[in-house]
This record gives sequence, C-alpha cells and structure tokens, in this order.
Amino acid sequence: MKGSNLGELEELVMLSVGILYDDAYGLAIQREIKDRCNRSITISTVHSVTSRLEEKGYLSARYDGATPERGGRRKRLFTLTTSGQAQISKMKQMRDEMWKAIPGIALGNG
Amino acid sequence: MDSRPKILSITETLLERFCKESIVEGVLGDLEECYFENINTKGKLRSNLTLTFQVIGFLRPRFKKKSKHSNIEAMLTNYLTATFRNLNKHKFYAFINIFGLIVGMSAGFMILQYVYHQLSYDQHIADKENIYRIQTNRYNQGELSTQWAAGAAGAGNLMYQNFPEVIEFVNLHSSRAQISYDRKYFELSHPYYAAKNFFTFFSIPLLKGNEETALDGNMKVALSETLAKKIFGDEDPLGKIITQNDRWDFEVTGVFADFPEKSHMKFDLLYSFDSYITFTSERAMTGWNWDGFLNYVKLHPGTDPNQLSEKFDPWLTELRGEEDQENFRIELILQPLTKIHLISNYFSEIKPTGNEKTTYFLLIIGFFVLFIAWINYVNLTTARALSRAKEVGVRKVMGGHRNQLIAQFLFESLVLNLISICIAAGLVILLYPVFNQFVGNSEMYTWPEAPFFWVGLVSVFFLGFLLSGFYPAFVLSNFKPISVLKGKFASSNSGNNLRKGLVTFQFLASVILITGTYIVYQQMNYLQSQDLGVSIEQTVIIQTPVFQSDSVMAIKDEVFRNNLSSNPSVLEFTTSSEVPGRSPGWNAGGIRLLSQSESESNQYRVLGVNANFPDFYGLDIVAGRTFDDSFGAEESNVLFNESAIRQIGFSDPIDALDQKINFWGDTFNIAGVVKDYRQESPKSAFEPLIFRYFPSTSGFYSVKLSSTNMREAIDHINADWEDAFGAKIFDFFFLDDHYNQQYEAEMKFGSIFGLFAILAILVACLGLFGLASYITNLRAKEVGVRKVLGASLRQLLRLLTWDFIKLVLISIIVATPLSWFVMNNWLEDFDTRIQLGLLAFLIPALLIVVIAVGTVTFHTLRTANLNPAETLHDE
Repeated sequence: MKGSNLGELEELVMLSVGILYDDAYGLAIQREIKDRCNRSITISTVHSVTSRLEEKGYLSARYDGATPERGGRRKRLFTLTTSGQAQISKMKQMRDEMWKAIPGIALGNG
Repeated sequence: MDSRPKILSITETLLERFCKESIVEGVLGDLEECYFENINTKGKLRSNLTLTFQVIGFLRPRFKKKSKHSNIEAMLTNYLTATFRNLNKHKFYAFINIFGLIVGMSAGFMILQYVYHQLSYDQHIADKENIYRIQTNRYNQGELSTQWAAGAAGAGNLMYQNFPEVIEFVNLHSSRAQISYDRKYFELSHPYYAAKNFFTFFSIPLLKGNEETALDGNMKVALSETLAKKIFGDEDPLGKIITQNDRWDFEVTGVFADFPEKSHMKFDLLYSFDSYITFTSERAMTGWNWDGFLNYVKLHPGTDPNQLSEKFDPWLTELRGEEDQENFRIELILQPLTKIHLISNYFSEIKPTGNEKTTYFLLIIGFFVLFIAWINYVNLTTARALSRAKEVGVRKVMGGHRNQLIAQFLFESLVLNLISICIAAGLVILLYPVFNQFVGNSEMYTWPEAPFFWVGLVSVFFLGFLLSGFYPAFVLSNFKPISVLKGKFASSNSGNNLRKGLVTFQFLASVILITGTYIVYQQMNYLQSQDLGVSIEQTVIIQTPVFQSDSVMAIKDEVFRNNLSSNPSVLEFTTSSEVPGRSPGWNAGGIRLLSQSESESNQYRVLGVNANFPDFYGLDIVAGRTFDDSFGAEESNVLFNESAIRQIGFSDPIDALDQKINFWGDTFNIAGVVKDYRQESPKSAFEPLIFRYFPSTSGFYSVKLSSTNMREAIDHINADWEDAFGAKIFDFFFLDDHYNQQYEAEMKFGSIFGLFAILAILVACLGLFGLASYITNLRAKEVGVRKVLGASLRQLLRLLTWDFIKLVLISIIVATPLSWFVMNNWLEDFDTRIQLGLLAFLIPALLIVVIAVGTVTFHTLRTANLNPAETLHDE
C-alpha cells in the first residue's frame, strides 16, 4: 500500500463510486463529478485515479453490463472495498470533528 | 457494423496495443459511449477532436501494458545509469567532452546557418531556374578592362530577338533623379527604370494596380509599399502624380511589396522603361557601347546555358564586326539568378553582394571546429578505456555479448551527443542576435529559417554520433575479459597511433586557423596603413540637388557657394562628379591620342571636377600643372593620372604634357599629370583616371571643416543649404567613415575568422589538456621509479612532453604549406597585399607550440613532483 492519505480528487471519485453504487464506471463517475461539483476532468484522469485507488486497495473492479452504445463492450464497474469504506468514513469523521472544533465566532455566526 | 466511424477502429487498435489488458475494455467502452453522445450534441468534427485528445490522454505510463521486451527497457535503464555514474565519477573528462561538443556544435551551427543564408538568395522567385542575368565584360586589346553587373544596353533585347532559346527579357537602368510630391522631396534608395514586363517576369504580385499594365507606357511609376506609405500616408496612391526633378510628372500605377532581404534585388521605385527611352533614345534598347543596364533573360526550360553562351562570341562578331569584337571584345556571361548574390561583385550591382570565397572559407572553419570537438570525444573516450576495462570485463563474464557492449557504448555516445546538442541548440538560439550583430548585418538571418535549422540539427547530431561513437565502442568492446580482470592490460599500438593521428589533425586545424587569422589581420593592418595619396579627414560630402533646368541650378548653386564661403566652420570646398572612396561612375571608352588609330583607343574612368579639386584633396602633381580658373579655356584641358598616362602609351609623365587626345570626337589637351592615388580602396588596383574640368556643379560638394565640433558645423551648413535650395534633401556623409566602409567586409571576415579560430583552439587545447592529464597519470608509477633511480626533473619533463611536442611539430610541418596555399588564394583578391613571409608562419607556429607545451607541462610537472613513495606505495 502506497500510503493511505487521500487526495481531493481521489476522495471525490470514491464518493462518486459510493453514490453510483451499482453503476460506477468511468464515464458515469466523470458525469457525477461534473454534475455535483461542476468540475470537468478528462476521462483518462478518471481512469488514472481509479487505477491508483485500486492499487491502494480502496476500490475493486469487475466487468459487467454491456450496452450497444458501448460497441457491445462491458463496463468496468467499481465498488468500494471494506478498507475503502473505512477510509472515507474516517475522512468524514475527521472533518466533522474538525468542523465541530471551530468556534462559531470564527465562522461569523456568533 | 460497416457504418462504424474509422476513428473508433483506429482508437481500438492503438489502445489495445498500448493499454493494460485489465482496463482496456472498460476504457474503450467509455470512449465509444462518450463519442456517440458527443456526435449527437456537438457534431462530428468536434467529437473526433475530443476523442483524439482523450486517446492522447490515455498514452501515459500508468496505463501502459507490461512490455514483452521489458528486459530491453531494463538494459537501457542500466546503460543510462552506467553512463551517468561514469560521467559523475570523472567529472573533469565529462566536462571537457561535453563542453567541447557544445562549443563545436554551436560554432558549426552558426556558420552553417550563415552559409545557408548566403546560398539561398532569391529562392522565392517562381521561375528562378530559368532566369539569368547577363553580365558584361569589356576587353581592351585583349585585356580585361571592366566587368559590369549592369552591362550593355542592347544585350537582353538583342539576345531575345536572335536566340529562340530566350523566351523573355527584362531590362533596368538606375536613376539618380529626385522626386517630390506636394512640394515635399523624398529620399530614394534604389530607384530604377524597369521594363513593362518586370512584374510578370519575376512573378511579383502588385498590392495595388495591375502587374501587366503598371509599367506599360510613358511616364508611369510603381512604388514600394514603404515608399508609398511615406509619400501618401493612408491615401490611395494609385492615379496620384509625383514629380521627378521638379520637371517630369509620373502617374503612380502600382504598389509592390518591399523586396525581401534575401534577394539581390532591392527597388523602392520603378519608372516605366518607356519614359527612359523618351528621355534618351531608342539606343537604350539596342546600344552595345552604353553600359549600366541590368539585363535579365528567361530561357526556354531545359536550355543548357553553357551551350547558349558558346554562341555569344560568334554572334557578337557578326553583329559588331570582326575588328570591334577583336579590339574591344565584349563577353556576355549568364549568371544564374539564385547565384547572383554569391558570385557577382561587379560594377553597378543593385546592392552589396556576398562573397563566395568568404562563404566557403567559413564553411571549412565551421567543420574544423566541429571535427575538433568530435576528435576530443574519440580521444578521451578511448584513452579512458583503461579505466573502464574492468567494467567491460565484468559485463563480459556475466554473459554480456560483444554486440551488447557496442550498443552500450554507442548509447553512451548518443546520450552525450544529445545533451550537448540540446544545450548547443539553446545557445545558438540565444546567441543569434549577438552573432547577427557580430556578422554586422542585422537582417542577416532570422529565426524563421527553422526547417533548415532542424534538418541541420538532426544531421549534425547523427553525423557526430556516428563519427564519435563508433570507434570507441569497437575499441572498448574488444577487450579480453581474462587479461583485463587479471590486471594485465595495455592499450594497443594501433589505438595509440590513431589517437596520435587525431591529435595531429586537431593541431593541424588549429595551426591553419591561427595562421589564417594572423594573416587576415596583417593584411587588414597593411591596407589601412597604406598611404592613400588623398586626404579625406574632416571632410563632409553633400550630394547636389537636381533642378528642372541647369540654369535654375546654377543660380541656386551660386547662392550656396557664397553661403559656404562666408561660413566660418568651412575651411574650403570643391565639387566633383564623384568623390574618393567611390568608383567613378563614368567609364568612357574610345579615348586615344590624336596620333593613334581608333583600334588603339582605350577605356578610362572619368571624373568631372572643379579647378581646386586636386588641391582640396591633396593630390600630387607629378608633371605639368593643375587646373586654374584664371587661365580661361580650361574646358579643353584634362589631367591624367599616372596609370592613364601609361595606358595611353607614355612611360614618362613629362612626355605626355600638351599631347592632344580624342575624347568622343572632341580634342583635349593633357595639361598635367596627377600622381596615382587611391580613388577606391587599396583593395583594388590603380585605375586610369582622366580629370575633366567641370566648373558647374553636379554630383557632390566636398566641404572641409575647420571646426572640430562636427554637429555644429553640419547644422550651420544645413542652414546654408536650406537658404539656397529650400526643401531639397540635405544628403550628407563624412568621407573618412564612408571610405573605411570599404574595408567592412574584410573586417567582418577577420573577426569571424578570429572568433572561430579561438573557439577551435580552445576546444583543441581542452582535448589536449584532458589527454595529457590522463596519459601522465597513467605513467605516474613509471615516473616514480625513474625518480627513485635518480632522474632529474628536466629529464622527466622531456620524457613526458616530448611525445606531444612531436605531434605538434608534425602538424606544423603539414599545416604550413596548406595554409600558405589557402591564404595566398585569399590574398589574390587584393591589389595591395602583404607578401607571405616566413614570419607569418613562424609566429602562429610558435604560439601553438607554447600553448601545447604549456598545457602538457602543467600536468607533467604535477606528476613529476609527486613523491615516489605515494605513487609506488600500493605496488
């Protein structure tokens, strides 16, 4: 495992995979990020990030769901692994705690 | 699936080859889905484009298939590591190698670029292969007298009428007229009269106006874009009237783009040739004894110009009569259009031309520098072979095949060459402006000549790589592992000899370059220290204005002269048709003594001068007298210079006095003889000059200033000028500057030669330094033993340096006749030249010996001073 820290883009991709649950393949992830965060990333970047996450053991991939518009090719579908789930939960928890630790006055709603 | 877009199948093939199997199906599916989505929303072109970028996005290492040849990759990685370790370990040699290569390549490049520039003039003209300029050579009694770039008036036209091979011709004649528009006068650089088919002949499109009719007819004129802008601003120039010499109205009928710098032509204003015929006579189309016409012909494609040229002499004989062609032979030479810039340097060129010899000299120097750098590489690499012998041995024992070792060392050479050429290319790009300035022509070449640059870069790279890589690779890979690992290893004799040969060649090149530089500088000094026989200091030359009639000019001239006389900053002044430092534009043939027959007549250069011209310019009178206004009837007297006296047939100037000559039907009396002086630069021979008495002014005012405050004096004279001539252009220059400009080309050549000679020597010395340091290190033990046995420092020095000195001596012996030959050839262009004495070769030879001995001694001293206990302790 090459370090367990997540980059921002990696986090976004993992969250998208979670949202899409059973239909998380490259193009869908790209669209999800575009729709939700208004960020355009190239399809090769998506694949690059997912393959990195696979290496870290946070995502697993399988082939399924061929459609005609894909030229009859199957989708490469991603799911969060157990350690992947643990990682994003840990991330969320850490953020929540940090949010709580900010005194209200610092956010201007004293 | 036959309607499937092709780009998708290309994508498929490409990515299936490149990408990991685990992801390729998913990726291709995504891409195709995305593609069809895009095609519906964005159209075909944009989705194709998007797909292309997407595919490129996938070509990164992360997605790469594990290669079947991964061991090759590993091997190359290992080679690279070995290369850099090796460079790192021997930083000094690495530096010498790379630095030498960089210097050599940069120098070679700049020179190649310069030479390419010189060789690629007029390439933009569409029919360039078939266009030739007719150069005219004139002979007097079998002796070459003048060579004209702009030759006989009728040459083009008559050739066109006589030879079916000539399908078209164009003629031009230069003009010295001034033009004005709306009472403003404009300076012209190259005004010419041009034939009506000029634009179509050279396929020059007009920005405004019609190419075919613009110059067809009387009193028409076409302007360059720049000039048109200067005269008319934003107004439309077509149909406007500009006035020539306050007198003749020309209608503007065309505007052409400024001529590119890389052309031997450069015109800013072209009058229709018909106007010139109207001003002069029909003979401007047919005359044989009237020079100053640029004639261009277009030959039928496939015509052999040499075959055509052979027909000229018989044709001219028939046309002019046998006697004329025999006594005053005209030779017509076809100059290929694209070579004119390089090969032509004759009377009345349009603009300064290049120099063929200089160009090829530089090319040779460029290659010298490059070769020296490559030789360094070969020498240092093979010399250091010993230290790498163990590496080779181990690689061989581990199963490395010889071919693999060759590949390894070639790879190393590739890497080094690559590093060097990248740095060199960067340097060249950075140094372009500096080099341009150094060459002295700001428009010499500009960056967009890129295609040549890249082709040159790649070929220099491969040539260098092959030349410098192969030999060391073969030598190094040849070592026998057993003997090497046992520590028994001696470099082969043949390798030593080759290395010595290469070092000798380096020194040979260096000696030739130093000698060349030395001789060029000597010659330049010699030229400039020549007694010109004419005083040109503190003199301002002003071009005379032209007026609609001579009588108007005479009145205004009188005013100006009076102004000058009362001007306190003016010492004296005179007028003449030409001034020293310029060729006398008037070249008159048919001049002879009354007592001589017509066939004995000759050509002379003629200067029309004021009475005080000889005094003003400090010319010596060797016989007779100078002009004197108080004598009256001076118009029928002429002065000759010594060369002219000799040409007309007297050895003693005294005998020529009061002889009568026939000058175009009029009789003149030789009143005096002027000592030969340098009318042009000392580069060219003394020419036969005749001075005629022209009290009226046309040509130039020469004004000698008394004050040293030039600025103030010029302002003062300018005020006098405006008072007399109004808005006419005040066009002046300082004579000494102007005169010295004649040496400019040689000066430039000298400094370029010098610069590259220094670079070559620097690189060669670096190589020698490296080699000497290496070889003396190798002999450290031997020196230790000798010291222990009682050898003195002197003996040791002799022992260690003698090997190198021998090589230097051999190269000097070989280089001397070579450089004599080359430099003698260069000097032949000069009328006044130094003789190549022994000194010219001894001094450079001594210099090189000193440099070489110094370099080698530096190392040998260090080695010889080492304590033997240290060098021998590990034995």
